[in-house]
Amino acid sequence: MRTNLIQSYLTGTSTAQQYNSDKAAKDFDVRKELANRTFIKPLPSNGKLLKPSLFDMPSVFFKDIKYDWNAFRHAVKGEANDHELGRLNDVAMKLGGLTIASYLFTKKQTPMTKAFEFIGLCSFFGAMDLWPKLFLQLPAYLIHGFDIRQKYEDNYGRKKLVFQDHQFIPWDLYSDSEINKIGDRLGVPKDIPNRREFIQEKMRKIALQNNTMWMLTAGFATPILSALICNRLEKPVSKYLDQRSNKKADEILVNFTQEIQKYDFSKNQQALETLLSENSGKQITPDLIDAIHANITDGWNPVIATSVRQDLEQMLDGNGKYKISDKTLEAVRDVVRDAFKSVKLSEEELAKIVPDKDSIINVFNSRNLLGAEAKEFSEHSKAIQDLIDERIAKFIADDPSSSTAKRLNFAVNQMVHNKQKSVGSALTNVFKLEPAAVLTDQMQENLKAISSAMNNLKSKNIVLDRYLYVKAAQAPETILANSWNNTTDALLKVMKFTPEEIKQARFDREIAGEILRNKMESIVANRETYGNFVAEIERLLSELHSRSAVIELQPNMKDNNGNDKNLFRSLVNSSCDEAADSLRKANMINTAESIVGFDESAGTSLKGLLLNFGTDRVRGVKSSFYRILDLADLYYKVAHVEGLDGILDGKMPREVKEEAVELAKQTILDGHTSDFAVKFYQRRNLSPNMEDYSQIESVNGKVKNKYFGTHESTNLAEMANDKNFFDKVMRLMFGSELHSDTYDKLKSSAILDDFKNYRAKVLHFIGSDYYFAKPNHVINETRLQNTPSEYKFALMGCAPDEMFFNLFNQKFNSLKWFNVFGKLGAGLIGVTLLSQFFMGKMKKPEPSKEVK
Amino acid sequence: MILPIRNFSEKNLTFKSDAKKGDVEEVSYDKDTLLENTFTNRARISLDKFTKAFTIYPAKGLKGSKNSNFYEFLTMGTVPYVIGSITLMSIFNSYKQYLPFSKANAAKLGNKMALGVVLYCAFKELSKALITRPVKWKTGIDTELPYAKVNYLLQESPDDYNLTSIEYHKVGESVDFPRWDQLYGDPKKGEKLNFRYDKIAEKNGLGKDLNDSDQEVKPMYKEVLVKSKLAKSFTSFMWAATAVCLAFQKPWESYFKVATLKFWKPKEFGHSLKVLGKSFIESVKELYKGSPESFSKLERNSGKLLLGASVLVTALGLLNTLHITKKPSKVTEATVMDKNKESVVS
Repeated sequence: MRTNLIQSYLTGTSTAQQYNSDKAAKDFDVRKELANRTFIKPLPSNGKLLKPSLFDMPSVFFKDIKYDWNAFRHAVKGEANDHELGRLNDVAMKLGGLTIASYLFTKKQTPMTKAFEFIGLCSFFGAMDLWPKLFLQLPAYLIHGFDIRQKYEDNYGRKKLVFQDHQFIPWDLYSDSEINKIGDRLGVPKDIPNRREFIQEKMRKIALQNNTMWMLTAGFATPILSALICNRLEKPVSKYLDQRSNKKADEILVNFTQEIQKYDFSKNQQALETLLSENSGKQITPDLIDAIHANITDGWNPVIATSVRQDLEQMLDGNGKYKISDKTLEAVRDVVRDAFKSVKLSEEELAKIVPDKDSIINVFNSRNLLGAEAKEFSEHSKAIQDLIDERIAKFIADDPSSSTAKRLNFAVNQMVHNKQKSVGSALTNVFKLEPAAVLTDQMQENLKAISSAMNNLKSKNIVLDRYLYVKAAQAPETILANSWNNTTDALLKVMKFTPEEIKQARFDREIAGEILRNKMESIVANRETYGNFVAEIERLLSELHSRSAVIELQPNMKDNNGNDKNLFRSLVNSSCDEAADSLRKANMINTAESIVGFDESAGTSLKGLLLNFGTDRVRGVKSSFYRILDLADLYYKVAHVEGLDGILDGKMPREVKEEAVELAKQTILDGHTSDFAVKFYQRRNLSPNMEDYSQIESVNGKVKNKYFGTHESTNLAEMANDKNFFDKVMRLMFGSELHSDTYDKLKSSAILDDFKNYRAKVLHFIGSDYYFAKPNHVINETRLQNTPSEYKFALMGCAPDEMFFNLFNQKFNSLKWFNVFGKLGAGLIGVTLLSQFFMGKMKKPEPSKEVK
Repeated sequence: MILPIRNFSEKNLTFKSDAKKGDVEEVSYDKDTLLENTFTNRARISLDKFTKAFTIYPAKGLKGSKNSNFYEFLTMGTVPYVIGSITLMSIFNSYKQYLPFSKANAAKLGNKMALGVVLYCAFKELSKALITRPVKWKTGIDTELPYAKVNYLLQESPDDYNLTSIEYHKVGESVDFPRWDQLYGDPKKGEKLNFRYDKIAEKNGLGKDLNDSDQEVKPMYKEVLVKSKLAKSFTSFMWAATAVCLAFQKPWESYFKVATLKFWKPKEFGHSLKVLGKSFIESVKELYKGSPESFSKLERNSGKLLLGASVLVTALGLLNTLHITKKPSKVTEATVMDKNKESVVS
């Protein structure tokens, strides 16, 4: 009998199960469903709308990864479905992006540019994701009351957007109450027929319009939003990276011992030991010296390498002595034979002239030349020459008819003389065949000690160099460069330049200077504004001062035990001194000197370079900012005609005072080192008014000139001999006392002494610098001729107008860019948001009439 | 729920796209039609999709049309792609007002970025052929085979008389529902019903004159579709990434100096093309060897790693696609049931 399958369902067997799914609804009862035959309908959906909460995000993230991984496995086996393949396409896109970022990361040199490869990538994908969420989904939700990017999970656990395909929207996932709630929010009348359908259609329309809007705007929005995100992130990221690398650099010094372990030169040391053992007891040839030198100086700078060479030659060449061996005598005979080649003698004839070994030994013995090692061989050469002369005489005597006499003498001459000066003849040189010195055990030990000391110092030098590089190298994103950028940015901000000023000023240094001067004059005109300005500069410079203290190396920083408080300096000192001591013991005097220096060479020694590098770099940066502070002080004094009497005294005609003030104000603003070096150039009135000795007057920060600028320029000329005028101008800028208002702001500051010191140094080193055309233009009758130009350059720093010209340019470029794309972005957001109000417009159906 | 069609105008209603004169589309179809995968067809389809993505589909979408569908939404994906590329290029090239020095520096990066965008798109599309071509050559399965789909629309207003739209899909577009029907031959045209399946079966060594070549081939066909899609995704993005990295090489700078699109000036244009070719070769070399200025080992070898990874991904993807596991075993006599013998089924 055939089994009735339906019957078996109805009678009920516990094992029979038609619907087999893990995700089956809990209240689903197959028997109940089958019993109710009048309402046969599709099985209820197991899909659900997803309402993610913030707390679910981590689990959702990992679930998604698991889903993708499974999708990948299925795809590899050829069993994946469309949804899985779609997800994998997204994964591949992100992988591609990551590949680009990783490759470009390797091409970038600085932490910031490296970081931004990944930040750029993340911001791009972020913008891609955020744009529809923030500017379509959120406003649509707020305005229309439902989520246009609502996701649902289908029977198979696949996540999809409800409104993705408008021909297939799983409306059954929304309950009636949910739809009605949305309808209320959408303002759909309550009493219309088919209300649910009407609401659904409205929702569909809104979602479709939003989706279209998304496609139309995403192309503009994603790159712009991404670029703006990166633009805004630049400062915080830079700040973070700066702190990070500063900390890392400091850790280099703290963990100095561990750091130097990273640079292991034991292979180098081993190579030397092998070389030495191979040549142990052998003669020290020039090639051997070369090889040893190359090994020891590998990775060292040419100065040190040259010193090592000098020391090695002294140590290894055995005082330049050579011994005379059998081999030498054979070589001597070869030279003689070669010398007579041109004469074309037969073998027998040649044998008569070229002395045999015995006769050479005899003649050396007779002159007491054999046995001892010699450095110089002219005596030996003379002996051989005499011997040959003797033999030639005999040869000619044997055969007087021979015409070769002259030619033989010529050949001898060729052999014993050299055309080049201070180079030995062929005959003397041939004696230097076998050096007397051999590589002794003592030498080997010595060389090993030298190599060890040099390698040890090399690793320390690398670590110290790395530290200096991060702190102060002339490269982007060093700590000093970051400080410079932060300070200049803050300066530009505090001086409140308008976009219009920035736009004008960026064209030319001259215009930039003029705009800066006007701005500064307007700042100093008001005492309160000036006070705030100086306070802000003081704050900025104090920060710079404290940050750079570790490499600026102020003298006299010892703790109670007499140890150097500055870790860097103490490490440089100990590393170099230790190496120099070992080298001195090994008789490497020149090398030791090139490491620690001696009197005048101290500055150019390795130690000097390490110590001075940071100080010099910081000096240049600080001078630039101190110069602006000094400029502000001078302008302030002039603006209020206070604190000038000491220099612009009653003996000075008003006209000259005005000229001096103008020159000082302009020079401190735009003077380069060369302007100071030539003691300034200003065309002045040759016959100023000698009756008016009054003080200058100022209005609104500017000098109200009574005489200056009133003459035809053709009547003006440079007064090259007015040394007094130069003195006054220099003192106006750097010599006069600070204004009390400036002093008050600085008196408790860490930079006060440093700032005063800077002014004094400029006055002394720049003011008293000797210029041959104006030899008496010096300060305090001191004439300095040997100040290094680098030092003068660092003291002058960057001219304020130049500094601001560059700043204006940078600011303009970033402002311009931001203006264009910021406005575009804002416009796009505006249009997108506004479009919400035009979405979902539908003709309202008539309300159903009440049936009476 | 199916709503009643109101304002039904029988006179105008038609389900043929070329029913009315003056509104004839260039190519029209009565029913879903398989197309040949030729260059002309591909170009025509691309152009059609591109034009509609920027015109008809957004207009329909913005109106909230009932007839908008997922195909149109996907086709509109071209819009952000194209606009995004142009925007990205302009973001990095908005330096016209900078001073010369800044301009020159900004231009270097900007040009490379723009080139990167162009190469990204080009390499992404071209590299797909690295998978599809060998797959077609080895298995006879054309994963990119297009067909025109005739879509029947709902009437939105009384004036709507043209109620069809043509969409261009691919037979293997959906791996869940490949359009098997499109692969059958039309006996009315004298084609053998299974002739396409027969070819694939023969190519893959399943034998000739099979009774049900379609049934034998389908699982295999699907497997190839899935695997080739996986391979295409990863391969195309890897090569697109490689293209961007290629665009960032220094030798391109010599091309940017002479680059011109003014084809009506043959001398300049010719020279620019020549330099383009040279720069391309030099850049590939530099990508492989690393820049001469590079000082870290990683920097010198990153290009090799990148190229290696792209080649590896392509090769693995391709090998996996060609490794077909769902090939039916050949039918041997031993496995065929002998009808003459009595057998009991339990």
